[in-house]
Amino acid sequence: MKERQKTMTPLMNDGYDGEPAKRVLSYMQAQKEQGRPIVGIYCGYAPIELIQAMGIVPAVLRAFSKVPIASAETVLPANICPLIKSSYGFILEGTCPFFAMSRAVIGETTCDGKKKMFELAAKVKPLHVMDLPQLADEPEARANWTAMIRKLQRFLEATFDCKASDQEIETAIQGTNRKNRLMRKCFDYAAMHPPLINWQEMYDLGFLALAATADHMTPILVAVLERLENRLSQGLYFSRADAPRVLVTGCPVGGDALKVFRIIESCGGIVVAPDACTGMKAFTGEIEEDTGDPIQALARRYLDIPCACMTPNGKRLSALSELIERFKPDAVVDFVLTACHAYNVESYKIGRHINDHHGLPYLKIESDYSDHDEGQIRTKIDALFEIAKN
Amino acid sequence: MSESYRGMWSALGLDLTAHDALLSVLGKAYQDIFLAQKSRPEAMGYFDFVMSEVHGLRIKELLDEKAAGRKIIGSYCVFVPEEIALAANATLVGLCSGADFATEEVEKLLPRNTCALIKSSFGFKLGKVCPYLESADLIVGENTCDGKKKAYETLGTLVDKLHVMDLPQVKTAQGRDLLKSEYIRFKTAVEELTGVAVTAQSLKQAIETVNAKRRAILRLFALRKADPAPISGLDALLANQVFFYDNPARFTESVNKICDELEQRIEARQGAFPQGAPRVLISGCPQAVPNWKLPFIVETSGAVIVGEESCVGERGTRNLTDEGGETVEEMLEAIVDRYFKVDCAIFTPNPERLAHIKEMAAAYRADGVIHYGLQFCQPYLMESMPVEKALEESGIPCLRIETDYSMEDAGQLKTRIEAFIETLK
Amino acid sequence: MPYAGIDIGSRTIELVVVDEKGEILQNLQADTGFDPMQEARQMVDGTAYDGIMATGYGRNLFELSFEAPTVTEIKAHARGALHFFPEARAVLDIGGQDSKAIALFDNGRVKKFEMNDRCAAGTGKFLEIMARSLGYDIEAFGREALLTEKDVNISSMCTVFAESEVTSLIAKGQDRREIARGLHASVIRRAVGMINRVSAAGEIVFTGGVAKNPCMQTMLRDKLGRPVLVPPDPQLVGALGAALLAAERKAEA
Repeated sequence: MKERQKTMTPLMNDGYDGEPAKRVLSYMQAQKEQGRPIVGIYCGYAPIELIQAMGIVPAVLRAFSKVPIASAETVLPANICPLIKSSYGFILEGTCPFFAMSRAVIGETTCDGKKKMFELAAKVKPLHVMDLPQLADEPEARANWTAMIRKLQRFLEATFDCKASDQEIETAIQGTNRKNRLMRKCFDYAAMHPPLINWQEMYDLGFLALAATADHMTPILVAVLERLENRLSQGLYFSRADAPRVLVTGCPVGGDALKVFRIIESCGGIVVAPDACTGMKAFTGEIEEDTGDPIQALARRYLDIPCACMTPNGKRLSALSELIERFKPDAVVDFVLTACHAYNVESYKIGRHINDHHGLPYLKIESDYSDHDEGQIRTKIDALFEIAKN
Repeated sequence: MSESYRGMWSALGLDLTAHDALLSVLGKAYQDIFLAQKSRPEAMGYFDFVMSEVHGLRIKELLDEKAAGRKIIGSYCVFVPEEIALAANATLVGLCSGADFATEEVEKLLPRNTCALIKSSFGFKLGKVCPYLESADLIVGENTCDGKKKAYETLGTLVDKLHVMDLPQVKTAQGRDLLKSEYIRFKTAVEELTGVAVTAQSLKQAIETVNAKRRAILRLFALRKADPAPISGLDALLANQVFFYDNPARFTESVNKICDELEQRIEARQGAFPQGAPRVLISGCPQAVPNWKLPFIVETSGAVIVGEESCVGERGTRNLTDEGGETVEEMLEAIVDRYFKVDCAIFTPNPERLAHIKEMAAAYRADGVIHYGLQFCQPYLMESMPVEKALEESGIPCLRIETDYSMEDAGQLKTRIEAFIETLK
Repeated sequence: MPYAGIDIGSRTIELVVVDEKGEILQNLQADTGFDPMQEARQMVDGTAYDGIMATGYGRNLFELSFEAPTVTEIKAHARGALHFFPEARAVLDIGGQDSKAIALFDNGRVKKFEMNDRCAAGTGKFLEIMARSLGYDIEAFGREALLTEKDVNISSMCTVFAESEVTSLIAKGQDRREIARGLHASVIRRAVGMINRVSAAGEIVFTGGVAKNPCMQTMLRDKLGRPVLVPPDPQLVGALGAALLAAERKAEA
């Protein structure tokens, strides 16, 4: 076991390490300069492959800063999740560069809060809401979601005056699958003991990889994998071998919410599996290729996303079990954003599954984007690690 | 309620001590709130009787029906189609969720910051104090809001038979298709439960029965347009609540009797409140039995409630099912059409609701609107500000209230409501 | 003919007597104590009036004991504020235990209001506790906070947590005055949010005990960019309003 070298080469080494938003902004600007139109998205259910096949660039809209929340609270109730307030605050203040660049926005009927917020946001820019089924396991769900993706296609055709053939969508699907395979190879380095990649690096990668094309990401990921191999051969690890390995599940984590990762690290732990739509979740699974109906293939894959807005969401339990198998965490932290009813009610089931089925200690953290509860979170994480050590 | 019911309650598995405590609290509350009112229509005596026997005679009736082969289905939402239940030889009852109970036990399963209505439904189950819950052969949950959607995943482990009905979130053709397929699935489930198939004849009869109930309550609503208001909001709310679990035909008859009396009162210019009393429309979350908190505060502060834009109220009963169909398929389409019109805040967008609030404010000559949101109810609380803004732009004063079932904030609510009423005078 | 208004708060009781022209003849203040009605009786017994109106937290108790009409503190504060500043269109009242923002129509009637009466954050109580934790008395607290331009951001919303935050800031060696200013900024944020939600423009009358705080006055003016007018005795505005309403009511009868 060797200590981490202070001269470890940054993983992406493009001058933006640790600043994923700036990196993506620069990518978006380059796309814009090349004449490609931009559509704003909020959620992992937005079918990236369809958007890319049409030559449109998907931009994940800002939702993780506490700064615009005060503006949002002049119109929205204070007692809703910070992600929704932040998103809307950015729109009200006009401070999200991605929103400004987007000709239109795609939303989904995931949770109540988003649904109602979209009604207000639609007054500012064309906003197409996809009607997401709530029972993903039912046979009707696939047919319904397929119809919704086709409806989105018609909206994009009308708004952006571009089309995509089935073949082009198929190409995009295959691209995503290649991209995701490479991403998963990067995550393999987090499965090592100790891990060779940390949460900030995985977050940086994911932030860009979500929206960027396979062609753009492939050379980047190949270089990253080389560097990771280098670290392995030089024994450059991110933590001591006995640092508690943590799987963080739950709500999307970004911006000011990254405090949960920072606190875990400062308590001596290491995040080996950030499982959320902002983390590994987006890159698991393959979209079926060469089915003859790429839209339906997309529908099938996207309905597999184990979000708590789905009921009964058994897939989340099996996805967690797979992650535990692969990354061998010592403890699980379930990060629930304040007022997120779906993840909050579900947390009871998750806790029982982690405790009873996997014999691992589990901690739910309910928090928002503010920094006043850092001390309390720290205490809880310390206590979690004490339990994990026993 | 007489001692003879104890055996019945015991057989249902109720916790008799807790149940006794609940009944005693309910009884006192009913006295302090309803019986203390002045100038009540005499025909409200029927509802006084119903409430005094709410866990007694009505339960006995239901159990007798069960013995004769009917099934009891409990539901939590106006989207569950009563017509289909009745047509398959089942009785649909609304399950109470209007009071805090067994909170400590509930909070072992649900987060504390879940709305009071959801927690109450769990509390009545965990506390074993609801004979309706315990006598139901099937409970229906519905995917309306996030809280309910996820809570039913757990409720399913607490009750014998839970049927979860999925509901659309958007009012499109696809949304209607979903509702229709869910109603067909529900029909199948009920037929399996009762062993009785829905026929054109039984469905026609069921539609007529439920429509008759609706017509009666709509007749009651219309009579509240008068000034002085012939009936209090408290009493009207009670009628709205009892709509969900009384015997339909008897309910229809009793409400029509009340309406006959109200017509006479209006002739005689007799009111439950003095002429010129400030008139308030309540809009928002449903007020389930025995939640009487808001109308009690409003009506002891000198204003009269003249309407409820709420599922326990006009939103839930406004539309009739078209009676023109001859086949089961035709009638099912009519039923789907009817329920699809309900403008609950879970739908996005939901512009019809605002239009209805304005219509009702005008029709009932309300001086102001109180928007009632349960704490943690995101759909209604998020609609509350746009609704308030739109009403104010139309010159209709609006007060937004966010509260729960506890009496902790009664003083603060009273101050706000009194202040609001002062602005209406 | 004199008319009286009595504002029974949870901490203090104010009694104001006016003549028909609305001129203040008398005003008394006492602590509410454990027996508000006994306290009220003592105040009222020594006072002459033809009619009395009660407002505040204890108004319904007074109504029962004295058979007097009542009015909410919203309407009372609105009326009292207009007495001093007839052109005002908004009132911000920050008392010991609650705060409220009131918007007025041009004719002086209440248009809209918002109250915070569920928690100490943003009230006089918050400032009192914080002053104590910094070792200031309440008068010095505001003055000292004004002596610096910088403020330390206090992130805790809850009074209890904010107090711990202050303790740890002191331990870290932060300047006491800057902490004090930051605490005032915290209350201002809440107040500004409330006022902006009910009233977009126009003069604001600042009432309640906290209105006497010079730092609060200054910061409010700066943050809102609107005239902030403070009556000579901001604490008696509720009782004064009630007294004026008692007079007007008698005049209508």
